[in-house]
Amino acid sequence: MAALQPASVDDLSTALRDSTGVVSTRGAGTRSRWGGLGATPDVVIDLAAMNHVVEHAVGDLVVTVEAGVLLDDLQRCVGEHGQWLALDPPIGGTIGGLLATADSGPRRLRFGTPRDLLIGVTVVLADGTVARSGGKVVKNVAGYDLGKLFTGSYGTLGVIATATFRLHPVLPARRVVSVESDTPWPAVREVLRSPATPTAIDYDGIRLHVLIESSESAVDAQADAVAALIGGTVTSDHPGGIGSRPDRTADSMVVKLTFRLSALDEVVAAVREEAGHVPLQAHAGSGVLWAALPCDGALLDRLRHLTASYDGAAVVVDAPDEAKRSLDLWGPVRGLDLMRRIKAEFDPDNRMCPGRFVGGI
Amino acid sequence: MASDPVADGGAFDAHHPPSQALIDDCVHCGFCLPTCPTYLLWGEEMDSPRGRIYLMNAGLDGEPLDDTMVRHFDQCLGCMACLTACPSGVQYDRLIEATRSQVERRHPRTRRQRALRTLVFNLFPYPRRLRAVRPLLRTYQRSGVQRLVRRLNLPPAMASMERLLPPLTPPVPVAEHRPAEGEQRARVGMLLGCVQREFFSAVNAATMRVLAAEGCEVVAPSLQGCCGALSLHMGRETEAIAFAKRLIETFESLAVDAIIVNAAGCGSSMKDYGWVLRDEPGWAERAAAFSSKVRDVTEWLVDLGPAAPRNPLQLSIAYHDACHLGHAQRVREQPRQLLRDIPDLQLREIAEAEICCGSAGVYNLLQPETARELGARKAVNVAATGAEALVTANPGCLMQIATALEEQGTPMPLWHTVQLLDASIRGVPRPER
Amino acid sequence: MADLSAPLAAIATAAADKLGPDAVVTERAALRTYECDGLAAYRCIPGLVVLPRTTAEVAFVVRRCHELGVPFVARGSGTGLSGGALPVETGVLIVMTRMTGIKEISVDDERAVVEPGVVNLNITRAVSGDGYLYAPDPSSQQVCSIGGNVAENSGGAHCLKYGFTAHHVTGLEVVMPDGSIERFGGLAADPPGYDVVGAFVGSEGTLGVVTEVTVRLLRRPETVQTLLAAFRSMDDAGTAVSAIVAAGILPSAVEMMDDLSIAAAEAAVRCGYPDGAGAVLIVELDGPSAEVQADLAAVERMCSDAGAFELRVAVDEAERVAVWKGRKSAFAAMGRISPDYIVQDGVVPRTSLPEVLRDIAALSAETGIRVANVFHAGDGNLHPLVLFDESKGETDRAESVSRRILDLCIDHGGSITGEHGVGHDKKKHMGRMFSEVDLDVMQRVRCAFDPAGLCNPGKVFPTPRLCGERPGRKSGVHPLQAAGVAEIF
Repeated sequence: MAALQPASVDDLSTALRDSTGVVSTRGAGTRSRWGGLGATPDVVIDLAAMNHVVEHAVGDLVVTVEAGVLLDDLQRCVGEHGQWLALDPPIGGTIGGLLATADSGPRRLRFGTPRDLLIGVTVVLADGTVARSGGKVVKNVAGYDLGKLFTGSYGTLGVIATATFRLHPVLPARRVVSVESDTPWPAVREVLRSPATPTAIDYDGIRLHVLIESSESAVDAQADAVAALIGGTVTSDHPGGIGSRPDRTADSMVVKLTFRLSALDEVVAAVREEAGHVPLQAHAGSGVLWAALPCDGALLDRLRHLTASYDGAAVVVDAPDEAKRSLDLWGPVRGLDLMRRIKAEFDPDNRMCPGRFVGGI
Repeated sequence: MASDPVADGGAFDAHHPPSQALIDDCVHCGFCLPTCPTYLLWGEEMDSPRGRIYLMNAGLDGEPLDDTMVRHFDQCLGCMACLTACPSGVQYDRLIEATRSQVERRHPRTRRQRALRTLVFNLFPYPRRLRAVRPLLRTYQRSGVQRLVRRLNLPPAMASMERLLPPLTPPVPVAEHRPAEGEQRARVGMLLGCVQREFFSAVNAATMRVLAAEGCEVVAPSLQGCCGALSLHMGRETEAIAFAKRLIETFESLAVDAIIVNAAGCGSSMKDYGWVLRDEPGWAERAAAFSSKVRDVTEWLVDLGPAAPRNPLQLSIAYHDACHLGHAQRVREQPRQLLRDIPDLQLREIAEAEICCGSAGVYNLLQPETARELGARKAVNVAATGAEALVTANPGCLMQIATALEEQGTPMPLWHTVQLLDASIRGVPRPER
Repeated sequence: MADLSAPLAAIATAAADKLGPDAVVTERAALRTYECDGLAAYRCIPGLVVLPRTTAEVAFVVRRCHELGVPFVARGSGTGLSGGALPVETGVLIVMTRMTGIKEISVDDERAVVEPGVVNLNITRAVSGDGYLYAPDPSSQQVCSIGGNVAENSGGAHCLKYGFTAHHVTGLEVVMPDGSIERFGGLAADPPGYDVVGAFVGSEGTLGVVTEVTVRLLRRPETVQTLLAAFRSMDDAGTAVSAIVAAGILPSAVEMMDDLSIAAAEAAVRCGYPDGAGAVLIVELDGPSAEVQADLAAVERMCSDAGAFELRVAVDEAERVAVWKGRKSAFAAMGRISPDYIVQDGVVPRTSLPEVLRDIAALSAETGIRVANVFHAGDGNLHPLVLFDESKGETDRAESVSRRILDLCIDHGGSITGEHGVGHDKKKHMGRMFSEVDLDVMQRVRCAFDPAGLCNPGKVFPTPRLCGERPGRKSGVHPLQAAGVAEIF
């Protein structure tokens, strides 16, 4: 198995073009266990040397980085100008890994997920072809949006070499309104319908936390209003309840459940019923819930059936190897046939991370 | 683009074709589509103002005036909602008028179409003929014959006419002259109309009373004839010109400050006489002078300012903008203001207010199916307001919506704006029929 | 029907039978009314027009087209500005204006499921009683359809803060180019697999026909403040915008109009913008009251500091509508100050705006062709309106100016289209923004969806790609080129 460490897009192109066999991509390794087991790679492309911030256009709130840049480093860099990339997954990792898995954190409520912030991308395909899509400006509808296609593709279409994002101004002041609850949906609903514009609403299984971020002069008014609405207490700390995702253990799997917003309590109740008080984290205003569950195929099926009835899904993001071998990690996938055709167009020789993704892709 | 507006074999001849310059004002933006009743019903480009303008342009370019083209022009209601919506200021009213004239002159109609038009245009613009058939129609309604006839399968136009006929009541006398009450503020002429005069004389009576109560001396010569609106809107140019001239002659010798009109369609045409008579030698100034005095009754009353005290009317009403008042004359605020000035009267707005009820002159006779659909749509929206009664300013609308409401099973009283004012001024709880 | 080719006649007969005769249009005069969309410069009479009412009907027509190798184009309200709905002469135009049902609204889930012919503004109207709205608001929103919005990834003045259609669509039902029906995404977030919805939005009708759209609904903000600021020059206005951005304020919209556009808007809708303004800025802020009030004070200060000679804050909804009226009618109003005009759509990085505007002014002076500027100052999306008089032979010069403005956009690292799409109009410019390889790779997506190349052919890409081709090697003439349906630029 060859390990290659390209230092530039051209290097990367050469590396892919001149190699044969199965390819796997590596950033900081923080999400390398996500998805299917995948075929053993013949070539590992390590992006550690492609870790430069290419351009930060401060006045335009746009940044272009190589995919090996660590999210934390990017934030530090643009933070010097009071800006940030509005993504807060609990795992840092590289930009490439973040995009490949489309990971996100609590603030997706307000700012979206990686595909909503990506405005341009350079990718390299298995045969070394380098292609760009999008650009450096936020408003751009020229051509197809390959960036969206590659985001969340688990490396199966090619390697993301550089990415351009739109940035947001940092919101300086922060308050958290917290309330204990077993059935948080009514409170969540109240907050969503209220004039408040929280950046996150997270539920950790015990407490509901509403994150208000704004200017110093305006933050308290909102926080107080929300507190009055849901009967919560206001702190200015950033408690562990926001942003901490359950970890996989030796005998549990991390499952991501998605569902229509109003089904929150039903999904929480189902998780409780199936697995007791396991660690969970729900982005309550986004219809997303992460839980660490026992590796039980029947349990997974039942939860999958439930979330499907709420138009959602249940995906096993990480699990022990044997579980990955025996479980259906992704569940039913709408449009799978088309996805196979897309894969065939981009990677006809099936070199890129085979077996990591849906339907054996 | 045609530099010569009349191409060989093309749809239009050289006598007042739709103007290329006006057509070129259209930038194809489509803002007119959502307000066009036929587009709302069918979703087809050729039955939208944008599409009809496109057809006119194609006609100027040499496309023939075939049945297809004529059908789409005929299906236009002439409601002028597009006029209100258009950001480029396209004068669609001029375009459709010119087009209809061309169609009337150049496109052969079927025998049935001709028969219907002959019947309509030999009856409706002639108050005396309407008066003559009144007693026959009354008998028809009050005897059992109407019930029998309604069970028959009449041809659509006849069925439509039959349905729309309002319940006829004994005519209310309207004097030729009425002095002002209290201090005289103006002397006005009043149009009596044709259908209004013979089928809705109560509205004319109420109009006169209200004008008098507001200090106007009112002159309503009995000899007056039709204003020609129906003819003008249907492209019957010669007829329209003749009616216009006679009406101008009737009123210009009366030395009035204004000529008051209580029917939306009539007022709209009368304000346009300058254009109608533009080719007639010696008439331009007379027409302009006449038109400058034409006012809708609600416009006039708001301009004058209320003098007679208003008594409360415990009533909730929905106000329907007749197209030729709201779109063509842009008179929307004045009736509402007058109604709001009546204490205790609750005014409710109708959803899809800008969409025509389907009356559109005699559209409901010539295109009865489409008119029926639009009437039904309007009836749903009217009933949804929960109002006890409907108020509108055009006899055509009144008949159309009354019929539709009845067919929907939600009948309600329908009155003209001026009838409510009359009731309020006289201190009676409801307008009289 | 005597004029129809055999395949088209077959489709017409089948469609009349299955959809009803009132769903099929074959008369020449009627077909002509469909020969262009909002960009009347390009016209092509469709071979046939059908107006389906259901997904099944759409699938039926597309399947027949696929079986017979007949190209097809989908059309919504026909207000697009890049010729995306320009028909194909030998093909079928599928008009979606009868699919106007709002199938489901769930305010709790913040979702609505609608048919593609639903007018954009009608979605907001349907939920405004609950205090919600659908965010993307193109200026044509009273007439444009959501299906068209999906095709073009439409934005609107408020996309600065709220994003475009792609950010507000979570699910699609699509009739694929072979006539099969697929669903992607839905009411919930993050559907497993590739982000097909993301790839489809903005694909300009080339990957399939949308028959159902699931959209996100947003809570109406507590407070909206709209400020109209009048400046003597565009430079001053630009300075104010930079200051706003640098202060970390994110307005929901920042629009700028120059003196020519102000004049046109005034003539059209009498918006009453301040006299003597070389430029006006419309800044809208929305959100929780306290935030908005603080931001408004800051914005007013920055505008004054940059030289604004008049500031007006709308006191109620009626005044707000009045402020926006001028901006929203700007394009259509051009007809009042010029017999002809080209609406251009380009993007430059916001920081390059002052320089680009100066370059445009210089271009205008050099050629004697007036250019009115209306644009989204917050994100650098320009809409230069190139004014000319065809009867004075100014067309070529105007088109040259329009092209050179796009050059400026590309030279400054921007885009050839911010909102209106590539369609037919800008195919020829794609090669200046993307390399041949870039375009080839993008078209692989198209091959996955539409290997037969029948779905809205001849749009977006200057050179059609033969599916199944190896990259880099082109073999022979593409059949669509041979058929005269597509061209190489």
